[in-house]
Amino acid sequence: MNAFGLIPLILVFPAIGFLFNALVGRRFVETNRSVGEKWSGWVASLMALSAFVIALLQLFSLVANHYHAEVVTLFDWIRVGNFHVPWAFQIDTLSVTMMLVVTGVGSLIHIYAIGYMHGDKDFSRFFAYLNLFLFFMLILVTGNNYLMLFVGWEGVGLCSFLLIGFWFDRTDAKGEAMNANAARKAFVANRVGDLAMILAMCLTFWTFGSLNFEPVFESAVEMFAHGEMVEFGLFSATLGQVLTAITALFLMGAAGKSAQIPLYIWLPDAMAGPTPVSALIHAATMVTSGIYLIVRSNVLFELVRASDTFIIGSLTSPDLVAYIGAATALLAGLIAFTQFDIKKVLAYSTVSQLGFMIAAAGMGAYVAAMFHLVTHAFFKALLFLSSGSVIHGMEHGHHELHAHGHGGGGHDDHHADDHFDPQDMRTMGGLRHKMPITFAVYMIGTLALAGIFPLAGFWSKDEILAHASTNSGVSFTVVNIMLTLAAFCTAFYMGRQIKMVFFGEPRHDAAAHAHESAPLMTTPLIILAILSVLGGLLNFPFFSEAAYKAASAAHDYGINLALEHWLEHSIAAFELTAAGVIKLPKTPTWVQYNVAGISTALAVIALLAAVFGVYGSRPRTAHERDPLQSTPIWWFAILPINTLVMSGIIPLFNRLADWLGHKLDGAFWHDFFHERLIRDNFVGFAKFSADVLDQLGVDGLVNGSARVTRRFADLIRTTQTGNVSGYALGVFIGVITLVVYFFLQTN
Amino acid sequence: MEVTIEWYIALSTILFTLGALGVLLRRNAIVIFMSIELMLNSANLLLVAFARQFGDLDGQVMVFFVMTVAAAEVAVGLALIVAIFRSRRSINIDEVNTLKG
Amino acid sequence: MGNPILFIILAVIAVAAALMMITSRNAVHAALFLIVNFMTVAVFYLLLKAPFVAMVQVTVYAGAIMVLFLFVIMLLGAEKLQGVNYRTLFGRVVIGLLGLALIVTFALALLGVFGPAGVEAATIPPLDADPAALGIRLFEAYVLPFQITAVLLLVAAIGVVVLRPRNKGEKAE
Repeated sequence: MNAFGLIPLILVFPAIGFLFNALVGRRFVETNRSVGEKWSGWVASLMALSAFVIALLQLFSLVANHYHAEVVTLFDWIRVGNFHVPWAFQIDTLSVTMMLVVTGVGSLIHIYAIGYMHGDKDFSRFFAYLNLFLFFMLILVTGNNYLMLFVGWEGVGLCSFLLIGFWFDRTDAKGEAMNANAARKAFVANRVGDLAMILAMCLTFWTFGSLNFEPVFESAVEMFAHGEMVEFGLFSATLGQVLTAITALFLMGAAGKSAQIPLYIWLPDAMAGPTPVSALIHAATMVTSGIYLIVRSNVLFELVRASDTFIIGSLTSPDLVAYIGAATALLAGLIAFTQFDIKKVLAYSTVSQLGFMIAAAGMGAYVAAMFHLVTHAFFKALLFLSSGSVIHGMEHGHHELHAHGHGGGGHDDHHADDHFDPQDMRTMGGLRHKMPITFAVYMIGTLALAGIFPLAGFWSKDEILAHASTNSGVSFTVVNIMLTLAAFCTAFYMGRQIKMVFFGEPRHDAAAHAHESAPLMTTPLIILAILSVLGGLLNFPFFSEAAYKAASAAHDYGINLALEHWLEHSIAAFELTAAGVIKLPKTPTWVQYNVAGISTALAVIALLAAVFGVYGSRPRTAHERDPLQSTPIWWFAILPINTLVMSGIIPLFNRLADWLGHKLDGAFWHDFFHERLIRDNFVGFAKFSADVLDQLGVDGLVNGSARVTRRFADLIRTTQTGNVSGYALGVFIGVITLVVYFFLQTN
Repeated sequence: MEVTIEWYIALSTILFTLGALGVLLRRNAIVIFMSIELMLNSANLLLVAFARQFGDLDGQVMVFFVMTVAAAEVAVGLALIVAIFRSRRSINIDEVNTLKG
Repeated sequence: MGNPILFIILAVIAVAAALMMITSRNAVHAALFLIVNFMTVAVFYLLLKAPFVAMVQVTVYAGAIMVLFLFVIMLLGAEKLQGVNYRTLFGRVVIGLLGLALIVTFALALLGVFGPAGVEAATIPPLDADPAALGIRLFEAYVLPFQITAVLLLVAAIGVVVLRPRNKGEKAE
């Protein structure tokens, strides 16, 4: 008895929700605002919940099936020559994990969005997009071949574009359509990764003759065992070289979708979208699809590691993955220091955490990557939704202020009202009294993200760090140091954020008038907060080597390492390591106290430094500079323990963070590299194409051919006399000619 | 002497040619139309003759379809002629030349 | 395939009727000659053991279609519209030569000038096609074309309605 047959429904439900909201939702909302919104929002949410139920049924079925993967083929999709792609669902522990995260967190965000989007003029369009996103995301994670994955990949990219640009008509102070621009930027950055994906798929098909996961992995292992070469006509390459190319292209694709160096630039801009979108797409689900891709292709990555094929020096493509991830984690973590937009901080934080996952996947810690993916989905969705609640509160406070402002008068910040930004942390402060629930859950999310024991983030982040420190090798050591620093940054910028948002005095009248959001919004927050606290239980490590050995001998692991034992069944690299084909870097199964101690200590220090040190009493007003930028000296007295360390590092560090944030990321990377170098050249080329190539070349060709056609037509139109008898005569002559021809032809 | 398929081919050819000449020589649209019917008939005759020759019913079925199409064609064609006549007071085919290029 | 003498008599009538049809100045006469031609062709059908087609030829062609022709001719008063409505002499000569060319081509083909004629005497037992056999063939192998002709006739009917003459003041859509 299993429910694998129900798997198509997981796509059908979101599709129904999409169609409902796309076709009739608008009419519902327009006819009767309050009732229509309920219908529109709740139908979408129920469809998401139904998909979640289907995912749960898949979970139970898998358990009943002894974790054996099941492929449910719906129909033949493409069959051309030996290119055969079925439309089939891969139900294994990995895809079910993703399904549960996508539909579970997705459902909560749907419900939250009913409250958040209340009153928006395009209420039903929003939910149509959300459901469409779920639909494509589920295609991405359920497909049993790279092509289906790619369909979902493109689909979620489209939905991301649509949702970032959801308020496409909003303009900034300069009158630029910033949301539409951000959406376009995201789309273009993703296209770069998509191109790499297409190339990777072409190469995969050329090499293995299939795009289905199982056959590709099996033939890869077989070819590896036989040391076969891959023929490319003019030249041939070893399997290791081909796999290096494929995995590097996958990394490129993942970098686009999961916002890694060098393509991460779109994610901070993507915060222009509504906050539930940031939570669902740009934190919990879509951006993790790059990690899913790498974990799914674990066999290919591990074969590269085992084949000792180097890109340059002793750098293998999995190492490159780890370096890219770690560098992204550190860079984004540093950039987050200098952001004032509450969502931008979280956006860079997401980039940073995705870097952790990518780095973990690159180090062969696939389970840790997935573990962090799941817990991150919980606490980052929580943080985004809470920040949405804060923004919501600020906006309402602002409106209230306006409503009362006319009678009361005398507000001295009227000049600022026109440019009031409800997302600017400098205008917040003191919100802990105004929004107690939001504050509480925000604290939980912050602690989880910072990796404070015993919240979810602690366990998952530590597993990655422990993995890096357990294995020896240059890449592991470097990545370990970078990630530890990134973890420190994480705690610091989160401390800075809660300090600026919730503590101190309100720095703007809007903050003073803010109030708690509706229960519809806070309930999902509370659920996510609980998950953020308990998420660590998913892959609870052993507390000592002895305990692990005992459990291992008894074959009874209890609740410990649940995720690892669960994912073992679909991450083939484990099996291949056991068979001795490849050598997966070993994963620690018990707590590494030194690693955990260091990281926790760093996190606590960073939090304390941020909350009580740097941001102890400032900033007070919207115009005050960030203390980080003015390098205060006085606060060292408060924290004498680390005065020594900090006094040397902080000024340097401030400069570094400032330089990274404003010069490297802002001035160089965003402004110079992307805007000047790429965009301007692109625009210049587009202008050249439009004005010269198109006007003279293409138009000349087109107009020229039109002119020739016209001359020729003028010539032959004289035969069109309108005289029917003439035409008939022509036909008759033709008949005679044909008859004679056929007679001559037959003999 | 026996009637063979060649006899029918010859007769058919003559009738078809006469029909074609009618189309080409006459200017009265209705007579032209009738000439076309004559051509269709000659083809039908040959179809039936071949059906007999090869012992295959398909030829006769084809005649059936030709007749159906001819009937439809006559109905529409005559309606067109009537419409043209009402607007131009003439069915001289040489005067209907507004479609010249 | 029929009695030679009967064939020759019928063929002469058919050709003569066709000739008269294309040369008669009065359109009504032309229509009547065409009916004669159709009748002889119907007899040919009987000789060829195709009774159903022969009956359809009489009822549909000679009956319905030609009546429609006559009706239109008389409605328009078109029978005497043109006096001598032939082409110029040169035109007539050219057209006549072309017609001759077609007949000569077929004659040469039948005489085997282009090589042996591909048509052998029937080795297959002669067909005795009763209407039932034809009906079965029509409704089994050709049922889809049959349905399509039904649609064609419907379209023709609608077309005729659309082309109907309008009263003054009634605007074309």
